[in-house]
Amino acid sequence: MSEMTLQPKLFGARVKRVEDPRFLIGKARYVDDIVRPDMLHAAFVRSHMAHADIASVDATEALAVPGVHAVVTGADIVGQTQDLRADSRYDGWQTSITPILANDRVRFVGEMVAAVVAEDRYVAEDGGEMVSVDFEPREPVASIEAALRDDAPMLHDGWKDNCFIKRQFEGGDPDGAFREAYGTLDLDLRNNRYSGIPMETRGCVAEYDVGTEQLTLWTSTQMPHIIRTSLADLLGLPEHQIRVVSPEVGGGFGIKGQLYPEEVAVSLLAIRTGRPVKWIEDRQEHLMASIHAREHHHRIEVAYAEDGRVLALRAKIYVDCGAYSVFPWTAAMEAGMAMGNLPGPYRIRHYEAENYSVATNKSPLGPYRGVARPAAVFSIERVMDEVAAALGMDPFEVRRRNVIRPDEFPYQTVTGLNIDSGSFIESMDKVCEMADYEGLRRMQEEARKEGRCIGIGTGIYTEQTGHTHQEFAKRGVQVVPGYDAIMVRMDPSGKVLVQAGAHNHGQGHETTIAQVVADQLTIPLEDVRYVYGDTMSTPYGTGTFASRTAVLSGGAAVRATVRIRDRLFQFASHVLEVGPDDLELHEGKVRVKGAPQLNVPIRDLARWAYHRSEKLPENMEAALEAVATYDAPPGTGTFTNAAQIALVEVDPETGKVEILKYFVVEDCGRMINPLVVEGQIHGGLAQGIGGALYEELVYDSEGQLLTTTFLDYLLPGFGDIPPIEIEHLETPSPFTINGVKGMGEGGAIAPPAVIAGAVEDALRALGSVFVNEVPLTPGRVRGFVESARSKAGDG
Amino acid sequence: MICKRRTSFTVNGMQKTVEIEGRKLLSDVLRQDLRLTGTHVGCEHGVCGACTVIMDGKTVRSCLTFGVQAEGAKIETIEGLADTPKNLHPVQRAFWEKHGLQCGFCTPGMVLAAKALLEENPDPTEEEIREGMGGNICRCTGYVFIVDSVKAAAEAMQSEGA
Repeated sequence: MSEMTLQPKLFGARVKRVEDPRFLIGKARYVDDIVRPDMLHAAFVRSHMAHADIASVDATEALAVPGVHAVVTGADIVGQTQDLRADSRYDGWQTSITPILANDRVRFVGEMVAAVVAEDRYVAEDGGEMVSVDFEPREPVASIEAALRDDAPMLHDGWKDNCFIKRQFEGGDPDGAFREAYGTLDLDLRNNRYSGIPMETRGCVAEYDVGTEQLTLWTSTQMPHIIRTSLADLLGLPEHQIRVVSPEVGGGFGIKGQLYPEEVAVSLLAIRTGRPVKWIEDRQEHLMASIHAREHHHRIEVAYAEDGRVLALRAKIYVDCGAYSVFPWTAAMEAGMAMGNLPGPYRIRHYEAENYSVATNKSPLGPYRGVARPAAVFSIERVMDEVAAALGMDPFEVRRRNVIRPDEFPYQTVTGLNIDSGSFIESMDKVCEMADYEGLRRMQEEARKEGRCIGIGTGIYTEQTGHTHQEFAKRGVQVVPGYDAIMVRMDPSGKVLVQAGAHNHGQGHETTIAQVVADQLTIPLEDVRYVYGDTMSTPYGTGTFASRTAVLSGGAAVRATVRIRDRLFQFASHVLEVGPDDLELHEGKVRVKGAPQLNVPIRDLARWAYHRSEKLPENMEAALEAVATYDAPPGTGTFTNAAQIALVEVDPETGKVEILKYFVVEDCGRMINPLVVEGQIHGGLAQGIGGALYEELVYDSEGQLLTTTFLDYLLPGFGDIPPIEIEHLETPSPFTINGVKGMGEGGAIAPPAVIAGAVEDALRALGSVFVNEVPLTPGRVRGFVESARSKAGDG
Repeated sequence: MICKRRTSFTVNGMQKTVEIEGRKLLSDVLRQDLRLTGTHVGCEHGVCGACTVIMDGKTVRSCLTFGVQAEGAKIETIEGLADTPKNLHPVQRAFWEKHGLQCGFCTPGMVLAAKALLEENPDPTEEEIREGMGGNICRCTGYVFIVDSVKAAAEAMQSEGA
């Protein structure tokens, strides 16, 4: 109980964000705003071939360009750094080595071959164009199917097949369940490749101080401490001589949650040239060479009972992981999580799955908001809809018959996920109520009479959050994020500096974690300042990803603050001459319980703790600082859940899908700040809608990326996102400090499933069709329209 | 031999004269030569709107404008709206109140686009806001709270103006 917030004033309030003013007046400092004395600028020469050997690199003409200082190739850095290697600890893993600069062979369009360092970026790019690379083409492997052919060329030397790893799972008795099934389905489902696309591209500035032998890297990353350790390991530098600063970051979404070869390369360029070096990624580079995400192909057999219960699943899960395993997550994570999450929040006890993490000549695939679950949820929610269609049942009714019941928590899924708590049925009821589901059905009926294609789609899902060592160890990664860390320092004036190991880039931690700390000390929010991003001034933490910060940094903040509070009590107990158990905090004062006139202000205690050592009790050290970590039990995470409904209209002639309404009921446990929660839901939904309708990274059969501008890769704009209605439920986590669950990724998880269901429902006006693929671009929708019409014609 | 052109224009009411290489983008001139780094560059090909500035009363994409094209122009950047958090423009205040920003990278362009929209249409409908702001992309907010911010700014500016 001592770690619970006892007098919540700010906790749970819609507090507007304290970080906003500097962004609003244009004074926030992102990496490209950093200018160092004598700074040079780098541009990378990237492969335009998907798969080729490098015969030679000729920098002669580039070096002749006025203003070019150096051209550095893969051969030039041999021995100065290790290559990047993200190995899984699973048996059967085949390793891939990501070169910092490719030396002998390239494996995707956009892979770095050389770096040009020049007076400014314009000149660096001029130089880059003059670097002549002689490629000897190899046969490209540009799809899962091509990679798995018997005669496919191998992506990496010594591999037996083009899979980083193949894994299997079996639980229950799938064969028995299939024998007893009332009906079966055989579904083929595809989520295409898209990505997080933060508005700020990647970038970094490196500087090496020869005098202090310190390397400083300013980089746009979600995980500065992991970058620091990785640089030390790869470059062979002492870690305490490396400082990584992640300044303001203009969006991450997972895309900036790994170590990239560019970060190593720019560090090397600074060491080599003896001058600070800046590299700012351009948008084309970002689309080619920052990690991509999704790209799943699932084949799923379903056994169901006459009453709509899904009895068993047999799944084959293929993920196109691109050319290399990303650090530290590995190429095993995406398919592994899809396999583990595919049964969803349902009581499915018989499940058999195989997964294939396939290597191709494409940009490496990594974690993006939702990681694997958009595809897993797409599959299982499409399964629920197809069972409903097969049985002539309402899609909500099928879900109600399958979903985990309120009396079953904590529920261990067939794949071993420990779903601690949730509100699955309640959230479905609530979203139906807020959307007036019956009313929507009536409206759909009326619209169909007018020849309009209106459809209703739904999806429910869990979002595993705040998971720590047990979960990441299970995923077989080498860097196992458990805890995160917070340092709380009360200064002599009684104001508080909170220094966080995790990074804040839009999530509002500067407000929300400060709310938690301020409540704990009963001080005003403006007396708490939250800082992050600089490894020199923050305790070692793992970073911001996987909807973990509210749980882990929030919990660590409570713990560190409690330590400060306990010391204030120890001190006040001495000053007020009462036992510490008789003290309480109230509006910035320590007072005696039942005798509020006996009190001492925190600011006095703070001043004395630093400047009046003679007042301290004998056993108390001076100063008021505490660092704490929090590794939330049980280590497997706490589960947020949500239910969504979309109402869409499809124009069968153009294939355009318009979302008319979108409803969300979200349950992320106790909310610290509902305003921030809602902003996260909106943003996640918009990205999910992008993946459902617009966003696709398209490669041709030669491995050429065709979507290299925002005219080809379509981000949702103001006109594409409907008004979104949100309601909350608050089922506290039984495990975490304050009952907090994480959130942030969730909004992005369900829209592909929800919108595909809605489009399929809309097309029922024309005929029966199975919508099995996203994004639902006009071309794909037209295909489904034709298919629905031809089936109706055949019938 | 790099040829530079002497270019004069005003930024946020201040007269500036800069030697600019012909190919240098206005966004780079503002950010690098004048150190006005509130103007952000998101795509460098004129789609995302992060680099929006106001030039002679109209929003332009500074990544699609050469610096030398600014000769004689009046340019307004985000730094011209408020120099401290204490004197925010009504649009900035509304974005703060309504949680119209998250990572903040698109925000200066959004705020300027909203200001320009409201100067042209002081009382826009939601549809007009979505249409009028349609040249700017935000990746964090899903636009909902930005639309709310623009509505709130319109109300505030009207009541302040009245």
